[in-house]
Amino acid sequence: MTESGTQLKAAPVNGTPVEGIVKRQASVITWVASRGIFIFTGVLLVFSVIFVNGFASSVNIIDVFHRASAIGIVAIGMTFVVISANYIDLSVVAQVATAGVILLALSPTYGVLGAMAIALFFALLYGVVNGVSVGFLKANAVVVTLGTTGIGAGILSLLTTGTIYYGPENGPIDAFGDARVGPFPLSAFVLILVAVIASIVLSRTKFGFMIRSYGSNKQATRLAGVNSGGVVVGAFVLTSIAAMIAGFVLAAYSNTAVATMSEGFDFRALAAVIIGGNSLFGGRGSILRTFLGVIFISVLSNILVLSGFSFAWQQLVTGAVIVFAVALDALARKAEKR
Amino acid sequence: MTTAPETHTTRKTVIEAHDIVKRFGGAVAVDHVSIAVGAGEIHAVVGENGAGKSTLMRILAGILTPDNGGVSVDGIVLEPGAKASLEAGIALVHQELSLIPEMTVAENILLGSTPTKFGAIDSARQRKIAADALDQIGVSVDLNERVSRLSVALRQFVEIARAVARSPRVLILDEPTATLTPAETDYLLNMLQRLAAKGLAIIYISHRIPEVFRICERATILRDGKVVDNLIIADTTPNAIIDKMVGRELKLDLQTRRIANPGAVVLSARGIRAFRVNGIDLDVRAGEIVGIGGLVGAGRSELVRAIIGVDPRTAGTATITVDGQTKNIVGYRSAVRAGIGFVPEERRTEGLALEMSVADNITLPNRAALSKAGFLQRGKITEFATRLAAEVGLRPPEVGRDAGQYSGGNQQKVVIAKWLGREPKLIVLDEPTRGVDVGAKAEIHRLLRGLADGGTAVLVISSDLPELLELSDVIHVVRDGRIMGTLSPDEANERSVMALAAGEKVASSS
Repeated sequence: MTESGTQLKAAPVNGTPVEGIVKRQASVITWVASRGIFIFTGVLLVFSVIFVNGFASSVNIIDVFHRASAIGIVAIGMTFVVISANYIDLSVVAQVATAGVILLALSPTYGVLGAMAIALFFALLYGVVNGVSVGFLKANAVVVTLGTTGIGAGILSLLTTGTIYYGPENGPIDAFGDARVGPFPLSAFVLILVAVIASIVLSRTKFGFMIRSYGSNKQATRLAGVNSGGVVVGAFVLTSIAAMIAGFVLAAYSNTAVATMSEGFDFRALAAVIIGGNSLFGGRGSILRTFLGVIFISVLSNILVLSGFSFAWQQLVTGAVIVFAVALDALARKAEKR
Repeated sequence: MTTAPETHTTRKTVIEAHDIVKRFGGAVAVDHVSIAVGAGEIHAVVGENGAGKSTLMRILAGILTPDNGGVSVDGIVLEPGAKASLEAGIALVHQELSLIPEMTVAENILLGSTPTKFGAIDSARQRKIAADALDQIGVSVDLNERVSRLSVALRQFVEIARAVARSPRVLILDEPTATLTPAETDYLLNMLQRLAAKGLAIIYISHRIPEVFRICERATILRDGKVVDNLIIADTTPNAIIDKMVGRELKLDLQTRRIANPGAVVLSARGIRAFRVNGIDLDVRAGEIVGIGGLVGAGRSELVRAIIGVDPRTAGTATITVDGQTKNIVGYRSAVRAGIGFVPEERRTEGLALEMSVADNITLPNRAALSKAGFLQRGKITEFATRLAAEVGLRPPEVGRDAGQYSGGNQQKVVIAKWLGREPKLIVLDEPTRGVDVGAKAEIHRLLRGLADGGTAVLVISSDLPELLELSDVIHVVRDGRIMGTLSPDEANERSVMALAAGEKVASSS
């Protein structure tokens, strides 16, 4: 792989001088924007292991993974929408809760698989409604997904009226939530599996390519004969499926589900995507980045908790990191425009 | 030629830039450039795209600060910054129009120096200054008209009035005639000569060598950020200047006219109406290059975009016939599926994803063929892109590099390569060589001729008259959304095309 910063020593072709390449050198800002998350995550982990008491204990590591898995799965799904053209999906909050509540409330009647199928139906509904509104009707993604959040969360509260659903003790859902492989909870493996599959879809499939291409230049992609509206729908559907899986994982972890179980997931998932260095301008990014972004914010909140800082401090620090990441992205874009 | 121009030594130097160096990152955009322009002189700055012309002009206007060297006016070295340059009397007429469409002509001319009285806008004075500026350049336009209602040419003139209103000592124009018709260009060139006669120092950047020969006294030729030569126009020839710009002897592609051998009709459009298109019939045959001429704003782009379904049409039908089967073109995707390729006018915004690799761009319309069960086949993609990059002569042929890193000519080759991979039955090109350097232009022309010789139907829109004349087997001239006339190669020349485009009666004895 060549870096954009390398100076090209172009070999003459057929004896004619070569003037084809516009020379460009990466600045410190573009370098940090593109590589920073790898360094920052590494530094944070080393720092936490050495300086934060109790961080490296197996109990704590399990806890970090538990907290990271649901939010991480949502963030990985959200990456598709962000890369597809700087859209965001705020309705993941309602989607996670919908899936979690359906799983626990309906599995006694329809069985676990039956409940999952019903949850999948609603996930697809969310994805298609969001995707068609944004991709074909060209509505603003923030407004549309705010609207569908309201509709979805509203229906959920009306139907559940604040009920907290519990899964049967030692049922399959409870067993999944408690299961360990070595010191790691199963949810951590779900997170890694989702990340691997999502990464393959984004980087190796035709559909993933269309998403990246559309995010990089909508008009050029449309003029290449691509069904661009369909690409957007696909991105929203993938986000919805990820949110559904996150809902299952979250419900299984505590074996409970309630309409308000996923509050703040929109903000935290988006934070992970942005902190990972995925460009909010679309086109650029990877699942690995989002994964590292999730690890970064999860570890950060964990060490703040371990060091005795309140929730307010966690909020403040996460917010500051997001502003830093977004500003870095914007500055890098500016620096590249010469 | 008018009276022989005085040599620059007799002129009093107004603006002088000394040993200017400007780097962007590691790339040197302007490399130890010095330039001096005297009062009353029109000085050409020429060079290929990327030679550093626009960067140099932005340094002269104080928009960019050089890494080395400085700019002086009347021997006084300027402080850095656009404000100091403006106060010293340097006015830059931008390449991209920088007027505000929703504001009036008078407001635009005084933009940035709006006169006030007790804090309120002094509209009487504003109108007076604007009217004086327009008088000076000899253009009459209603001061209260909103700029959005003006033609492209009038906007260009308002832009110049805006510079003149500041009573500059130095006027810099960057490709001012790019969007003008010959008559408008003529008017502009005369205007500049009048302004120079009043003692203004004018720096004139242009690709168009004939214009340089008509009005300029000297020319500074830039290549790769360096001054290659500084010539007195009266002592040189257009070919000598072009050779120096390109840095190699350019073998002009004066091959004999291609013998067109048109086959069956591939594209057939009937009664097309759309925004700016008022009922057009058009046929393109296999192996034929059909040219669409006309002025900017005549509805040429709108016409082809409506035919192939990029933009909606309000009436009319278009069909494409491949292997004896005729299909209706109902939308753009159906057009692409039926074998149409489209190279849009705006390369950077519509043609390419600049941050993606050349390979990704080239294979974008061909993904289905290059993936198996939805998974991309990387080896095949690279091989495919490399083959097409070689076919269009991409230099250097590194398909892993971002498209945005290539120069304009190479980028355009990538856009064309994208469609070649599909072996299109019809390829539509809107301004195929705009902003492309001379060498790449010749290569693109050769490519299009080759396509037509191979039986592809080619439809080309071009504002570049020599290009249109050189390429086309038949030229339709569009004005006001209608075809005003159709010219065979024997009938077509710059005069006959422009006569139709500008709406004059065609003189039958041409």
